[in-house]
Amino acid sequence: MTATDTTRPATGARRLRRPKGLTAHIILILAVVISVFPFLWTIVMATNTTRDIYKSPPKLTFGSHLLENIRHVLHTIDFFGSMFNTVVVASVTTVLVLFVDSLAAFTFAKFDFPGRKVLFGVLLGFMMLPLQLAVLPQFILMSKIGWVGMLKALTLPALANAFGIFWLRQYIENGVPDELLDAARIDGAGFFRQYWNIALPMIRPAMSFLAIYAFVNAWNDYIWPLVVLTNPDHVTLQVELAQLYVGHTTDYSMVMAGVLMAAVPLVVVFTIFARGFIAGATEGAVQGS
Amino acid sequence: MDLSRRGFLQAAALTAAASGLTVACGGSSGSGGTKNGKDLTLWYWGGALSDKVVAEAKTHFSSSVKLTTASIGGDFKQKLTTTLAAGTSVPDITGIKGEDIASFLPNAARFLDLNDLGFKKLSSQYLDWKTKLAQTEDGRQIGFPIDIGPTALFYRADLFDKAGLPTDPDKVAARAKSWEDYFALGTELKKKVPGTYLVNNISSVFTQAVGQGTKRFIDKNNHFIGDQDHIRAAWTTAIRPYTLGLDAKINDNTWNAAIGKSLSTELGAAWHALDIEQAAPGTKGKWRVCAMPGGPANQGGSYLALPKQCRNPEEAFKIISWILSPANDARGFTDAAIFPAAPAAYAMPAMTGPDAFFGGQKIIEVFGPAAKAIPVSYEAPADAAVMAPYMTELTNIEAKGKKPDDAWKDAVSQAKQIARRQGVS
Amino acid sequence: MSSPPVTGSAEVSPRLGGPGPARFRPRRTPPAGAVRPRRRGLLSHWRQYLAISPFFLVFLAFSFFPVFYSLYLAFQRWDGLGDMQFVGLQQFRFLWSDPVFWLSIRNTLVIWVLSTVPTLFGALVLATLLHSVRRFKGFYRIALYVPNVTSIVAVSIFFGAVFSNNFGLVNAILGTVGISPVPWMSNPWLIKVVIALLMTWMWTGYNMIIYLAGLQAIPGQIYEAAKIDGAGPVRTFFQITLPIMRPIILFTVVISTINGLQSFSEPQVLFANNAANANLGGPGQAGLTTLLYFYQSAFLNNDYGYGAAIVWAFFVLIMVLVVVNWRIVQRGRKS
Repeated sequence: MTATDTTRPATGARRLRRPKGLTAHIILILAVVISVFPFLWTIVMATNTTRDIYKSPPKLTFGSHLLENIRHVLHTIDFFGSMFNTVVVASVTTVLVLFVDSLAAFTFAKFDFPGRKVLFGVLLGFMMLPLQLAVLPQFILMSKIGWVGMLKALTLPALANAFGIFWLRQYIENGVPDELLDAARIDGAGFFRQYWNIALPMIRPAMSFLAIYAFVNAWNDYIWPLVVLTNPDHVTLQVELAQLYVGHTTDYSMVMAGVLMAAVPLVVVFTIFARGFIAGATEGAVQGS
Repeated sequence: MDLSRRGFLQAAALTAAASGLTVACGGSSGSGGTKNGKDLTLWYWGGALSDKVVAEAKTHFSSSVKLTTASIGGDFKQKLTTTLAAGTSVPDITGIKGEDIASFLPNAARFLDLNDLGFKKLSSQYLDWKTKLAQTEDGRQIGFPIDIGPTALFYRADLFDKAGLPTDPDKVAARAKSWEDYFALGTELKKKVPGTYLVNNISSVFTQAVGQGTKRFIDKNNHFIGDQDHIRAAWTTAIRPYTLGLDAKINDNTWNAAIGKSLSTELGAAWHALDIEQAAPGTKGKWRVCAMPGGPANQGGSYLALPKQCRNPEEAFKIISWILSPANDARGFTDAAIFPAAPAAYAMPAMTGPDAFFGGQKIIEVFGPAAKAIPVSYEAPADAAVMAPYMTELTNIEAKGKKPDDAWKDAVSQAKQIARRQGVS
Repeated sequence: MSSPPVTGSAEVSPRLGGPGPARFRPRRTPPAGAVRPRRRGLLSHWRQYLAISPFFLVFLAFSFFPVFYSLYLAFQRWDGLGDMQFVGLQQFRFLWSDPVFWLSIRNTLVIWVLSTVPTLFGALVLATLLHSVRRFKGFYRIALYVPNVTSIVAVSIFFGAVFSNNFGLVNAILGTVGISPVPWMSNPWLIKVVIALLMTWMWTGYNMIIYLAGLQAIPGQIYEAAKIDGAGPVRTFFQITLPIMRPIILFTVVISTINGLQSFSEPQVLFANNAANANLGGPGQAGLTTLLYFYQSAFLNNDYGYGAAIVWAFFVLIMVLVVVNWRIVQRGRKS
């Protein structure tokens, strides 16, 4: 257990692996192609007509029907209204998840109190139960407090997901040194000051990962909004999208245009935030050690 | 960095507050005490009603009530069930799908009896068998019929011509009077025009064959009868095209691609015409319709119902009887391929015109008589659930080459189990 | 300064290797100067309880209550609207002799293995490679994570189109090299492969990011020392990287088990297009996962009691699996 001095991290790793750099790039680029291809193919389908898609072999090039398909989507569903609702719900949910989960995770990671193990074990156990199980009782509950049909009915069930606590606790345990908290305590910082001034800034990378996770989940949630949003003026994007493929046959190119329109904002927002977040995640972990 | 985060938090808090406000206003239309509310909501799903008629209904009744409509996507039945169970935000008028109506009958108390509101006087205008399917044993009427799904045989006249077979609807119907005749026709067709199939899958044959009978899987005394001769006969009929090699075995989304190419006939309800038209616009003018082998059946067709919580039953009933009056029902046929449940509509110009997709054929001449000849059968609440294993086993035959006799045994034993689970003896 | 945290928790833990998932750091020792809050009961911890209370209040209402309500339901017969009828253990007896239930369990397990193994293995390989390169790091991270940002519904529609037997891109490509169409969407095994591919595509990048965070926390000196000892990259990976990464790998295994066993939307959207057929899960019910069967029983057949019984039986099964999983990994640690 000899604590080694860590002043110049990762240089050794770099030198050790330099020779196989090219192979690594080739494999990574291959993986990128696979992970990005569906997006390209979605664009191909969204720019063609349904008949082109059903051709065999299917048409592989971009078509010129994108605007027509988009117009079709906008005509069929209230795209922008539902997107605004989704943005609001996803933002509020994310902020709540970040605050509530980080506070609880910090407590679980760094403090001992009676019942800690039991409470955490219960959380973990409940993560394994499928959410669909809760749909009916949750709906009854929502109707009791009169939130049925309202957008705020989407936030609380999302908050009950224990993943964030599980993930942040793991990170705080390793990434926030006890010594720092002890030092703060000697300086007179109370529990909440330790959380706000010391832990929170140190776990920012893990928080951004959770933020994206929570935001994406809220954005893509389907079953619960479908059930609980009884008011047609307050539905989310995914529920509206589902309108596109009801009926007996499906206009594939229109559906794909809708899928594209729903995914583009999310991917753009993600890409903007991700530049900071994933880069920060890794440096943060090293700094924390 | 810090600044932007604070800005973001503030913005989020503001939007949260704003959304809380707006929804609070929007959702306040809860359960009013009096039964003469001025706001009524109507739930349906895309294609259930003519959007034009619904839009007109809004203006037509605007002096007495404000009608708001919601087209619900996804699983309509699940949404309606949870809402009814919770008892709040219940729509004043709701659609119910034909395949779901039976499962709502045990909970008829959740709906208003339309007979109390004057349906008795109107009921003679609608097909009796369709009306009865939305009626409880003690005569409570929970559903007002929107449409029905009389079935027929769709066929490709050009392929028939190629094979040297008759193409005229009456002659084809004469050549395909029974299921056996139909399969013989298919065998000839396949010999002359290789690469074509008579049926898309054998589950569809089974569905139609069962629908042609007066008994289904559960009888009125709540006994399981899915192992009896009438079902066995339908099963045997369904297996025939499989053994004869006339089955395209399509159980996935490839139907859309196959319909314009390898399928020479389709068994389906009137609304199926729209499916074919959308999936294979290139075959316009090549299709015809004639009477289905073995007689007509019904597939689909929905209802409108008034939940107990309805805020203004009298006005709501006026609205639905207006939307579903024979004249307006006939317009649904042109707008959304909804086949009216009111026979008076069949003589209206909206329905008697020639259909270009079917080479100018007047398809009402096939569907009209079919609609009136549909056999009345009792459909138990658990019927759909009990039928499912038969369909599964038929696809097992197609997908895995399972022996038909083994499949039958498994289907019956599973159906029995589901029946027991659902409280059927 | 101090010993690096990740290695710390991996090595300092002979006494921490308990069976349960909740593996904690040793109790935080109060600083010497502080007054020791010895056994002053629950009240002295009010700050901690206050801190976790927002979560637990929501949790109580929206997880705990619904779950136990559903346990209650598993002993009833209920169509969702009418009166409940107590039936004792009858639902579980039905379950025991229901071949479809057992088929759904088999399907779920097969799909889980087919998706989790390649996902985690691929994620580890990609994370290691990504950690080793110097250029385009940011680009790779984003491009590889992006599948996880899409909605399952959209991706399922996409896969359904690409793997379609008749008009799918995959069969079209196979056709150009002379391979006859593969029945992706009707062969029972291939159906599972397609679902597993979908899940692998969605979750590899996500796990990769988690691994990457762990890899970058490993101090370079360890590799330096390994190099001096003459260890090659492969040996370094297996003897240094892998053991240090063990807690993080364990985390991903638990999370993927939870996600993988709860597959539901994928087969539902892939095979839900056939409106006339009440069967879920495609031809031969090959894609019928347990959760999909629950959905069918409860929401389509209005058999809420049976649906609840399915989920509870399944939950017990997952718990057993997780414990076994954990035991195996723990045994691996000791050797």
